[in-house]
Amino acid sequence: MQRKPLFTILALIMVVSMVLAACGTPATPTTETQATQPPQTGQQPTQPPVESKGPPFTIGISNPFISSEYRTQMIASLIEINKEYMAKGLTTELVIESADTDVAGQIQQLQNLMAKGVDAILVNPSDVNGLNATLQEAVSKGIIVISVDQELNVPGVYNVGIDQKEWAKTSAKWLAEKLGGKGSIVLIEGFPGHPANVARMEGVDEVLSQYPDIKVLAKDTGKWDEATGQQVMSNFLAAYPNLDGYWTQDGMAIGALQAVIAANPAKFPVGVGEGRCQFLKLWEEVLKDRPDFETIAVANPPGVSPTGLRIAVNMLLGKQVDKSKLGGVNGLSFVIPVPIIVTKDNLQQGLEICKDKPDAYLLDGIMTDQEVLNTFFLK
Amino acid sequence: MKRFSWDEMMNRYPAFFAIILLVVALIINFILQPNMFARDTLNSNMRVFLPMILLAAGQAIVILGGGIDISVGGIVSIVNTILATQVGLNGSPEKMWTFVLVSLGAGILAGAINGFFIAFLRLQPIITTYATSFLYVGFALFILPNPGGGIPAEIANVYRNTTPLGLPLAFYVIAVVLLIWMYIRSTRFGNYLYAVGGNAEAAYETAVPVTWVLFSTYVVSGFMAALAGIAITMLSGSGNAEIGVPMTLTSITAVVIGGTALSGGIGGVAGPVVGAITLGIIQNIISFSRIDTWWETFVKASIIVVALAAPGVINLLRRKKV
Repeated sequence: MQRKPLFTILALIMVVSMVLAACGTPATPTTETQATQPPQTGQQPTQPPVESKGPPFTIGISNPFISSEYRTQMIASLIEINKEYMAKGLTTELVIESADTDVAGQIQQLQNLMAKGVDAILVNPSDVNGLNATLQEAVSKGIIVISVDQELNVPGVYNVGIDQKEWAKTSAKWLAEKLGGKGSIVLIEGFPGHPANVARMEGVDEVLSQYPDIKVLAKDTGKWDEATGQQVMSNFLAAYPNLDGYWTQDGMAIGALQAVIAANPAKFPVGVGEGRCQFLKLWEEVLKDRPDFETIAVANPPGVSPTGLRIAVNMLLGKQVDKSKLGGVNGLSFVIPVPIIVTKDNLQQGLEICKDKPDAYLLDGIMTDQEVLNTFFLK
Repeated sequence: MKRFSWDEMMNRYPAFFAIILLVVALIINFILQPNMFARDTLNSNMRVFLPMILLAAGQAIVILGGGIDISVGGIVSIVNTILATQVGLNGSPEKMWTFVLVSLGAGILAGAINGFFIAFLRLQPIITTYATSFLYVGFALFILPNPGGGIPAEIANVYRNTTPLGLPLAFYVIAVVLLIWMYIRSTRFGNYLYAVGGNAEAAYETAVPVTWVLFSTYVVSGFMAALAGIAITMLSGSGNAEIGVPMTLTSITAVVIGGTALSGGIGGVAGPVVGAITLGIIQNIISFSRIDTWWETFVKASIIVVALAAPGVINLLRRKKV
């Protein structure tokens, strides 16, 4: 009774696949949306090989996580910067694969980008190793692959991002100096085990080891989440009412500051903030009542991705990368400087930037084409 | 000759609608992506779909028996972390085989724990497996707290690039799964399974060993989840304790799209297998249709909702006509 449909399915799968496999391997090129592009596979022998292909180039984006302002701003500014190149006829519309998905889903995103015949891929990886084989496949097809925001150690894959460890050291050093090298503090970290968090906490530990009189009373995770950060900070304030300072990072710093405001201790601890407009505005509010309140916001710019786009375009145009300027685990990392650090001295400057921006806006910086050329490419 | 009857097709062949859906999805995908049936493209798609296909097949057995297994993602995570930590990036093939067997054992054990609680202690399947899902993910996190480790690239490449007779490895795996299911379906156990899922009390009255049948569905599901875990580890080549978590709900969606009712006793395994492929194809369609980025999630969810609702809507319209 149940057998018939099963045979039908088996037969269907087999027949369909055999017929189509028989059609020959590289069937039609996937350039239905980019008719001006030479196909990637060599069906038409008259076409030049991939390497010597001229503009306009097609660049693909793979992003597996959409529920954060960082990613939203990243995608929006990528589209924005690409328009510059489109106007010059250097690139076509970006091919964006962006949706909440898992490792298998991001592998599918990357495979689809390859099938669409893109010339370069910017990927914000969901997993430090899970995409390795897929990315190598792309590299072997002559596609320029750049991992943005998250450093990968895959041969042939470039990285573009800030130095997470240095980024954390900046605010940790500031905190230690503001405290005069002594006092008791707490730490609120992001996702334990997440590579960016690991690098950042290493930086913090490195800095604090030089200040033996600073005592770390406790450390907990705020999961890069505002509400969790607030909850953790409230617990800390209840347990340690005489806290001198706290170190935290983006996403959680607003929550931590709100917890401090709610607890309203006699002396506000010196805390690390974040480069988000909402935070700067909250900071300004606090200063009205507590003019001696101290905090710092080190920008974590989503602009590293559009900067990565500029690097990709220049590489596609055949410009030579100055390898001596690259760093990182495999010597393929373009390290982008932090664009802005806000302290009490330049808070007004930060607020000026935020004036016509939504609260969720992250202080940003995108290198210009000329800056990218001067910094990373041979003259 | 009898006239073609929609009702009969729907009732007798639960996978009927799933196949229609798959064919429609394939045609749309083919229009958008003309090279989708090229050997490389077909293989690269199927190797991504295979873990979910295996997971959905196991989930289907549990759902047929009237239960549900929310812990399958956790089992996938355990297997992934076992392989990534024990075999390692420089492990030998022998080591890989050893730990593949260990992984299958772990999957069976995890399934047996679920089965024990549900069949013998008579606990609610949804709550039990929800609880054990944390147990399993927690255990995976214990094995591998930070993403990392992996299996040798050569072994991963066997999974990625094996295409006997020009057909993706996944097709052979699917064929084996369906053949085994056909065999099971024809045995007494197969009949028991439908009896238990349809009406456990009546089954008990007619001397069906309800407890053992229920228990075995979770063991099968654990085993299939372990296979899915092995497949996804070979796909990604690396370890991450969270890898299985998002797969659970997708496996249930695949089963339902495949025409297997959550109430139990209705459906089969072929439908869910087709459903898992369809979900993958839908992702491709979204990707190749170049819809605006910000709409992607919405459009994908809408297609799935329509696919889930379609058989119900068709039945409703037909009932009105009569």
